[in-house]
Amino acid sequence: MSKVIVIDDEPFILMMIEDKLKKAALEVVTIRESSTAMEVIRRELPDLVILDWMMPEVSGIDICRMLKQDETLKQIPVFMLTAKGQDADEQLGRQIGVERYITKPFSPKMLLEMVQETLGNDKS
Amino acid sequence: MVRTKIIYRLIVMFLVFAAMITIPLTFTVITQVNKMIAEEEAMRPPSDREYENMHHVFSSRLLGQIIPYSFYILIMALMLSIFLSRKMLISLKELQRGAKSIREGNLDVVLRISGDDELAAVTRAFNEMAASLKEKTLDLQKKNTYVDAMLDPLWVVDEMNRVADVNPAFVRLFGYSREEVIGASVYDFFDEQNVGIIRNQLLERTERKIASTYEVSIITREGTSMPVLLSGSPILEEGRVSGKIGIFKDFREQQGFRREVEQSRDYVETVVNSIEDQLLVIDKEYRIVTANRRALEHVSGSPVGQYCYLVSHDMNKPCWADGHECPAQSVFLTGKNFRTTHQHTGSGGERRFHEIVATPIRDAAGNVSQVIELIRDVTDRISHEEEIFRKNRELVALNSISGLLSRSLRADEIFMNVLDRMIEMIKMDGGGIFFIDELKRDMVCQYHRGISEEYIRMMGRIRMGEDIPGKVAVTGQIMTTSDISKDTRIERSLMKHSGMKGYCCLPVRGKERIIGVFCLFSFKPHYFTEEEESILNSIGEMTGIALENIKLYEKMRDMYEQQRKRRDDEHGQLLALTTKLGSAVDLRYVIGSVLELIRNMFNADFSWLLVRDSGDNYRLRASSSSTDLEDRMLYPRGVSSLEGYTADKRTPTVIADIRAGSRFYVPDEIGSLGYQSALAVPMHIGEKTVGVFTLYYRRTRDFRDEELHFLRIIANMLAVSLERYDSYVRSISEKGIATTIIQSVVDGIVTVDTQGRIIAINRAFEEMTAMSADEAVGLTVCDALRYTRENLDLRIAFGECLESALSGESINRGVLMTTAAGAQLSVLITGTPVLDAGGAVTGVVCLIRDISREKEIDRMKTDIIRSVSHEFRTPLSAIVGMTEMILEGDLDAQKDKLYLQTILSEGMRLSDMVSDLLSIARIESGMETLRPEVLDVAAIFEELQVSLESSCKKKNASIRCEVQGIKTFTADGSKLKQVLLNVIDNSLMYSDSGCLVAVTAKKSDNGIVITVKDNGWGISAEDMPHLKERFYRGRHGEKIKGTGLGLFLCNEIIRLHGGTMDIRSTFGTGTEVTLYLPDRGTL
Repeated sequence: MSKVIVIDDEPFILMMIEDKLKKAALEVVTIRESSTAMEVIRRELPDLVILDWMMPEVSGIDICRMLKQDETLKQIPVFMLTAKGQDADEQLGRQIGVERYITKPFSPKMLLEMVQETLGNDKS
Repeated sequence: MVRTKIIYRLIVMFLVFAAMITIPLTFTVITQVNKMIAEEEAMRPPSDREYENMHHVFSSRLLGQIIPYSFYILIMALMLSIFLSRKMLISLKELQRGAKSIREGNLDVVLRISGDDELAAVTRAFNEMAASLKEKTLDLQKKNTYVDAMLDPLWVVDEMNRVADVNPAFVRLFGYSREEVIGASVYDFFDEQNVGIIRNQLLERTERKIASTYEVSIITREGTSMPVLLSGSPILEEGRVSGKIGIFKDFREQQGFRREVEQSRDYVETVVNSIEDQLLVIDKEYRIVTANRRALEHVSGSPVGQYCYLVSHDMNKPCWADGHECPAQSVFLTGKNFRTTHQHTGSGGERRFHEIVATPIRDAAGNVSQVIELIRDVTDRISHEEEIFRKNRELVALNSISGLLSRSLRADEIFMNVLDRMIEMIKMDGGGIFFIDELKRDMVCQYHRGISEEYIRMMGRIRMGEDIPGKVAVTGQIMTTSDISKDTRIERSLMKHSGMKGYCCLPVRGKERIIGVFCLFSFKPHYFTEEEESILNSIGEMTGIALENIKLYEKMRDMYEQQRKRRDDEHGQLLALTTKLGSAVDLRYVIGSVLELIRNMFNADFSWLLVRDSGDNYRLRASSSSTDLEDRMLYPRGVSSLEGYTADKRTPTVIADIRAGSRFYVPDEIGSLGYQSALAVPMHIGEKTVGVFTLYYRRTRDFRDEELHFLRIIANMLAVSLERYDSYVRSISEKGIATTIIQSVVDGIVTVDTQGRIIAINRAFEEMTAMSADEAVGLTVCDALRYTRENLDLRIAFGECLESALSGESINRGVLMTTAAGAQLSVLITGTPVLDAGGAVTGVVCLIRDISREKEIDRMKTDIIRSVSHEFRTPLSAIVGMTEMILEGDLDAQKDKLYLQTILSEGMRLSDMVSDLLSIARIESGMETLRPEVLDVAAIFEELQVSLESSCKKKNASIRCEVQGIKTFTADGSKLKQVLLNVIDNSLMYSDSGCLVAVTAKKSDNGIVITVKDNGWGISAEDMPHLKERFYRGRHGEKIKGTGLGLFLCNEIIRLHGGTMDIRSTFGTGTEVTLYLPDRGTL
């Protein structure tokens, strides 16, 4: 069973994604405190990380950077979930290795499809 | 027929020949055979009878055989001969055809000649005969045609003078038919008179066998008489006249011609005779053929037939033989017209001039056969011409002399030329000019022609009254003599025995006295006409006047030189003045010194310069007295003054005594100092009067015209300088205002010329570039901006603006500028062309506007839009995503409810944000009003704590509220709560977990001071100045969601209350927000 870690400071976003992914038989770990994110990821070693960009304490971008610089973690695909809609933001995200850039508001169904697609690709 | 006959003849002849040949031949053969048989039988006699019978039979059989064969041979021979004579038959046939053709009248026949036998010869002869016949016939036909075609009538008359034939023209012209005429006597056609003429002539001519021509009249069939020219010629046959041919010519027209010719001959004769000139027609032998009446008058008897030289010159041989010019000979030689004038001496010895025009008369061959000479007496004309020529020559000489006199100012040139002209004019051989020495009372020859130096020396000085020149010098009368050597009036003279004959001496008369004497002489006697004398006299007078003029000229030249020198001096002074006036800026000083200069130059005792101001008052601008107060009003408008009068009159005014009379108001300083005369000079530019300067004298002073002229020039210069100074001062002050404005503008302004070099910069630009105006002027803009590498873009933008503006188009460019102080400014550069009056670009003004602030606002706007959109997106995510999941049926019932609650609360959050934004918009637009109410401070704090409870729990934070010395306070409660909520929420948001927020309310003078203090992250120094700005998001903005509107909204609300908000913070330590609000109740 694939494991997905979702990090967002908005509890209802976490709840929404967790419900959606679990229903699709994925194992979901949610993190609200971004400062603990790296520690959890290292421990859980998920197949996918879904990050919110704007979070107090540690921003999603910083977590992504840290992931990509970690030899053991850098192959984990990262989905960036953000309210920043500008192209420049997306570009920045891509530069640092974001797999998918998803703009809020988003469709949970679509997110699930993208997750399944990414995980399916990985497996294959 | 020929063929048949010949063939028949041939056959018959053959039969005869055949019979003649065959019969003897047959008998011969039979005889010979019988003989042979007999001989044989003689040798061997026959034995039986049978044989004998047989023998007889043989003979008859032989005969029977020979005869057919012979016929056969002969017939064959006949056929052969017919075949051979075939050609002969052809020739015969041809001849037969030819004969037939000729009989039919066709003479064109030519027979074919075949063979070379006699028949061919006959055929050839036939052909020749036919050709000859044809030729003759054609000839005859032609002649007949000619006769028929003749336009002139013709008849043929036999020896009995009967008409044998006439041609069609005869029938046409005279109307008789041919039949009527033939056989009639020729005399039937003429009247009696003509018959007589013809008969006589005819007899004679017939005998002499010669042709004859008669001009007779023939009677036509109608009975009229027609003039004809009848030419008759005899027809000779064997030396005998067998008949005559007469050809008639219609002479009706010719008769008319002849009449005309006769008439014109008469006319010509009349004309020729009526010519006033003599007219002679001369033939090649120089005999006179015709002479008109005028010519006949000059000779006795008729000259016709005589030799012209005999008649005209009484000579026995042609005059040209003696070398004289002969017009007739010339025409005969050249064949061209010849015109000449001959001089003859009349019977009384007088000269006569004849103009002779000779014209050729040519014969039919074009050769000159005769000459017409037209001789006209032109004596009067020639003498007139001579007169005119002489007069003309004199006039030319006079003209040249007078031209010379008026043109030349050199005495020697004049005298020599006048002398030459005079000699030439009256054809003298030489002459001289004597000049009178008034002191010594004698005269000496100074210029001469045609006399040797030696003779002049010998002549030496002639005393006044002596000799001819001396006498003329005294009397002033011209003296002439045709031959001095024979003149008894002159007893003693040097000229008398010098070989001179014609002599003339005339005075050279000046204005008041005689200056000298002209003498002219010739070696031949010369009769001086009255006219010549008068001309010479006038030349003498003209020369005298010219001489005086020369002296006058020399005097004038001296005067002119003096004047020029003076003018040069004046020019020098003017130049000095101009230099001073032109160069000086401090005109007050200069005008004073110029005035002083003028005063000295014109020796005036006092001078001043007044200017007319815009109110037409006269003010003192400068004076030679240093005590005078400048710019004092001397004459208010309307006061009658010398200066005012002069200015109005616009010409200098000279007053001999200003004290006399009360015409002008005289100010004290003039009146009291005893000035007497004055000269006022107006100064004006075009129509505008600038002022007047006046020179005052204690004595009387006259001014020459050139002095006044000079003063006017100075006045003009002063006027221009004054005007220029005034406009300079005006422009300085205008420029000052403009400069002040430019300098005080906060935007940088730099003015450059068309080369891009800086002309001026303002203070703002100085600050931007840290370069003073003095340093910058003359540099290019790019050089002025050189101090930093970062300004490359700026320089490029400047370049573009300048280039565009220089081409006349104003553009602007936004660019980043790094100032000398290192600050980065967003600037907008605007280049605007400076145009002169004609619209040409003379420079560019560049305006550098600091738009950093606008840029910042722009940036903030963008930020807030992003921020707002972000803030909106998060709640929208809940609404959109959760709704989708509910609809998809992803959730159980319990979850559904939770989801729907979230959707609701997030929707509310969106609504709040929209309200916030709307509040700000309302406050900003000034639409928001306060609703003050009395508030319980402690109660408000409690409410706040309740509201913030959940937030505090999240952050594990604690809020401590304290109220000091105040219970109630009047303000807009909801807005105050909004402010406090916002500020405290900020403290919670931008702090770590477990933070502490202290809220304190204190009474102030007439209001309340509320302080919110936290121990959070604090605010960075760079964010501090911007905290109260709308949409500004500080350093923590990346982490914390917000609109950037919170503090701005708070500040606006406090401001609306008339209070203040003060924020103090240390980065990493904490922040303290102090709000002061006046009590609305006490207001």
